[in-house]
Amino acid sequence: MCTIAVEALTKRYGTVTAVDDLTFELAPGRISGFLGPNGAGKSTTMRLLLGLAKPTSGRATINGRPYRELRDPLRHIGALIDPNVFHPSHSGRTALRIAARPARIPDQRVEEVLHLVGLGSAAHRRAGSYSQGMRQRLALAAALLGDPETLVLDEPANGLDPEGVHWLRGLLRGLAAEGRTVFVSSHLLAELAQTVDDVVIINQGQLVAADSMAELLERTSASSLEDLFLDATSAAARPAHPTSTRARSLS
Amino acid sequence: MRSLVSAELLKLRSTRSAWIPCAAALAIAVVAVIANTSMTGHGGSTHLSPAALPGLLRASGGQIVDGAVLLAWIVLSAGEFRHRTSVTTFLGEPNRLRIVSAKLASAALTGAAVGLLAEALGAATAAAALSAHHVPLVWSQPGVLGAVLAVPLLAALYGMLGVGLGLLLRNTAAALGLALMWAFVVEGIVPALMRQPGTVRWLPEAAANAVLPGASPAATTLSAGVALAVLAGYVAVLAGAGAALTARREIGTTTG
Repeated sequence: MCTIAVEALTKRYGTVTAVDDLTFELAPGRISGFLGPNGAGKSTTMRLLLGLAKPTSGRATINGRPYRELRDPLRHIGALIDPNVFHPSHSGRTALRIAARPARIPDQRVEEVLHLVGLGSAAHRRAGSYSQGMRQRLALAAALLGDPETLVLDEPANGLDPEGVHWLRGLLRGLAAEGRTVFVSSHLLAELAQTVDDVVIINQGQLVAADSMAELLERTSASSLEDLFLDATSAAARPAHPTSTRARSLS
Repeated sequence: MRSLVSAELLKLRSTRSAWIPCAAALAIAVVAVIANTSMTGHGGSTHLSPAALPGLLRASGGQIVDGAVLLAWIVLSAGEFRHRTSVTTFLGEPNRLRIVSAKLASAALTGAAVGLLAEALGAATAAAALSAHHVPLVWSQPGVLGAVLAVPLLAALYGMLGVGLGLLLRNTAAALGLALMWAFVVEGIVPALMRQPGTVRWLPEAAANAVLPGASPAATTLSAGVALAVLAGYVAVLAGAGAALTARREIGTTTG
């Protein structure tokens, strides 16, 4: 089983601190929601976890190892960071075949994930002609290529229609039920409330809360995830001191 | 590494803006030989003779093939950042130097393959054209083997130059503009600015011409071996700088 651990992670761009001494750990078999206002540092944290950016200090690991040290990472961790990461002139099928090659994933698996995400009949079309929702499904297919134990998904419901959101919820639930770690950021709080088991909330790059959603709701007496989020990230709310919230296991 | 090279070659095969220039260069290789053999003997030019073969083989490769392979790999390397496919690429293989190595190997393979194919097409067309003019074919004459070896070798180096330039600038238009500016402007004005005409032989295009036997007057160029080393030096500098920047730079953009 795969575990994601973020330890005292800090990322600075000049004078701007995008991620500030962030520490949390995700347990397998659960869906963890990653929440925060725009610019809170969610995407930066995910990019640091995936080795697309280097931390100023601290570390983010998957099963104790940084992403850059993983051999055949697609078989361990699947990521959706941005739906617009496919060459517009490539067909959906070709885009996935290119993504699959480095991990020696067979073309048969490409066809499987294309059908899984509902793009089987559109696989021959150019990715540039896809709608936002179709590109999102293609990016999700790319994340699933290696049948990974862990999924890191940045705003996966963006651009999906209600049927797509419903389908995504079922997919994530099914993946977590198989024991996989699912880490998902979203601004769709009502949707997320129906999907996630645990939440990690950050604001201004710092950890605000990290626990199971049920415990957080009980502890704060918030009536919903939306209330919890707004309370935690309101202007008056200061990020929690790292020592009070860090290293909480969400299991 | 083989799987990474396979991925890079699949990108080449499935990206029209990359393979069309290579296909066009192959078509031009045939047309260049036909044009050369058609014009020979007209307007005061010399008649076709067996000695024309090395020149025809050079005409079928040379700068057109070099330029096409350079263009293809600029498009593929800089395009990774333009279309953000670099995110998928570096998620699949987080060791960025391995990715750069795969791109360089793929570019070299592409150059060698397109160069060899251009020479094969050029040789077949030249054989047909010379036979039609009842000119005997002498494959063993000086310059033939040199052209057949030099064209693929130069195209391989130009492909690697394209990778280096594309990774360094990460902007397709800027990289293509710089390559064109260099070929058509910079190599022409550098010797004039430096007031030392001899310096031109150390520049990439002049060095490439020196590698291709008989393409330039021997007195004004480097020896083929030195010219090859000079070109390899340009490749090492550009590819090294591109690799260093690729290893350091962050991939993708942040939104929240």
